[in-house]
Amino acid sequence: MRALRFAARTLRRQPARALLGILGIAAVGALLFDMLLLSRGLVLSMEDALNRAGFDVRVTATASLPGTGPRIGRAPAVLATLTALPEVDDAVALRFGSGRVLMTAPSPPVGFTLFGAEPSRRRFWTVIRGRDLAARGDAPTGEVLINEALAAALGVDAGASIAIRASCVRANEALPPVHVRVAGVARFPFDTVEQRTAALSRRDFAVACGEPDDEGADLILVATAPAYGPDQARDAIARVHPDLHAVSNAQLVRQLAATRFSYFRQISAVLATVTLAFGLLLITVLLTVSVNQRLGTIAALRAIGFSSRRMVADVLAESALMVGVGGALALPVGLLLAAWLDRILKRMPGLPAELHFFVYEPRALWLHAGLMGATALLAALYPVRLVSRLPIAATLRSEITS
Amino acid sequence: MTLVEACGVTRVFPMPAGPGVAVKDVSLEVGAGDHVAICGPSGCGKSTLLHLLGCVDAPTTGALRFEGRDVAALGDAERSRIRLTRIGFVFQRFFLLPMLTAAENVELPQAEAGVPRAERVARTRDLLSYVGLSARADHRPSQLSGGEMQRVAIARALANRPGLLLADEPTGELDEATGAQIAALLDRVNDDGTALVIVTHDQTLARRAARVLQMKDGRILDGCHRS
Repeated sequence: MRALRFAARTLRRQPARALLGILGIAAVGALLFDMLLLSRGLVLSMEDALNRAGFDVRVTATASLPGTGPRIGRAPAVLATLTALPEVDDAVALRFGSGRVLMTAPSPPVGFTLFGAEPSRRRFWTVIRGRDLAARGDAPTGEVLINEALAAALGVDAGASIAIRASCVRANEALPPVHVRVAGVARFPFDTVEQRTAALSRRDFAVACGEPDDEGADLILVATAPAYGPDQARDAIARVHPDLHAVSNAQLVRQLAATRFSYFRQISAVLATVTLAFGLLLITVLLTVSVNQRLGTIAALRAIGFSSRRMVADVLAESALMVGVGGALALPVGLLLAAWLDRILKRMPGLPAELHFFVYEPRALWLHAGLMGATALLAALYPVRLVSRLPIAATLRSEITS
Repeated sequence: MTLVEACGVTRVFPMPAGPGVAVKDVSLEVGAGDHVAICGPSGCGKSTLLHLLGCVDAPTTGALRFEGRDVAALGDAERSRIRLTRIGFVFQRFFLLPMLTAAENVELPQAEAGVPRAERVARTRDLLSYVGLSARADHRPSQLSGGEMQRVAIARALANRPGLLLADEPTGELDEATGAQIAALLDRVNDDGTALVIVTHDQTLARRAARVLQMKDGRILDGCHRS
């Protein structure tokens, strides 16, 4: 009878203990799996959101975050230079600001985040209803795209006219309102759950800001041409515009992983270590109890000719079986728990709705299996030592006299 | 032919109050087909001697040879192999595996010895028939009486056709009538050619042996041969 089958029979002999052990391992395994999903969840989620926006490289005037540093001057000329590069498929210049929609008294104005986007073939938003902003070049269109939250707050939809008062600099200002027509309702990739957002064409944005001749941009999004990679596009941009700061999505994600998101990796590493330690203790205790209860039988098996190696294999198989079954159960439990925890964490204010804390990747599955396997092996060390050093004659004697 | 030979064997155990001598300068030969009983008061070293003869334990001093091989020179794997294929053990408390059926318990040492499945199934069937338990093949130990469990243990001990069967108080846990049945079964095993060494307090069982060895304080006092 092979060791694994033998171990299965041994476990079935004590079903309550085996079940409790397996459930304990499943709980520990589920927590471990969640920590692995959390360790890179935000990084993967951010990478996915960036890539889904359809642009690979971000260009700013300095290394500061977009909207917090100086603007890129003469954006149309920069755009023309960039789109002429063979590595670049398309590019769009963005302005960031904010705005308010004036409501009838006594309702207070409704605030929102405002984008100004240079018309381009690609858009970083997705139109849900109505139509996109018209790409009419240099002339103002008098159109606006709004997101669902702003549409709901205003009680308007595509085709409605609204008066907005923009705020375009980081100082108090009192710009006159401009009247725009809602072309459509769109989803913007980095909106938070309750964020209200609107997008104008770059020209309309400049008009709303009272600076119709302003050609600045806070950020230029670049889509790489199919034959090239983002790094090649970034290098090409750096060659033609060494005065600007270009980063690929992958670079940005690496920066975020090393700085802002590193807390989650550290927390998950600590919690995963603690979880594994609990798992190790749990399995060691279960196996040790199991071995101690069977010392007489083990000594008898050794006496009738079972080798020490075979008895060690039995203990390892028992450990592997418990951890294998518990670890397999841990995966669906862990996924359910992760979904629940993700919903709780996403209630944090200011978090983009498309970001997730717990994200599945195959690497997490392999790492989980590896760590659980290593735990099973380590946990079996002490019981294996008991079995391999068991004095056969003395144990048989004590079994008779006890 | 000599199966096991002990020459001046001594076994000392470390004890809190100093070394304890369990077996002292014992010399003994067990040949093929022998029937030996070892008797003596509790703690006189009977079981320790049995464990030494069965290659379960190693002597502190003296020489022990099994089928001509120096047991002290063998590694754990080789000694395990000898126990598995050449020696059968019957214990006072049976030590059947509770999660296996009677047939599976008998099959276990054969599987460990690498006997092909078809061969070990046939051998198990024959052995259970030999000990009168064909109808109980699929029962677990918890469903068997004490006498039945000991008969399964004897079948398990004979599974790999050993030359030597060692029994440590085989009737110690059984009532008189059941003990007599087990004694008769062991006689039959011996009559069929397997050498038998029995450690027992039971004088009725001991008297069935061709040779009875009396032990006291780790020494063999005398041995008498019966015809």
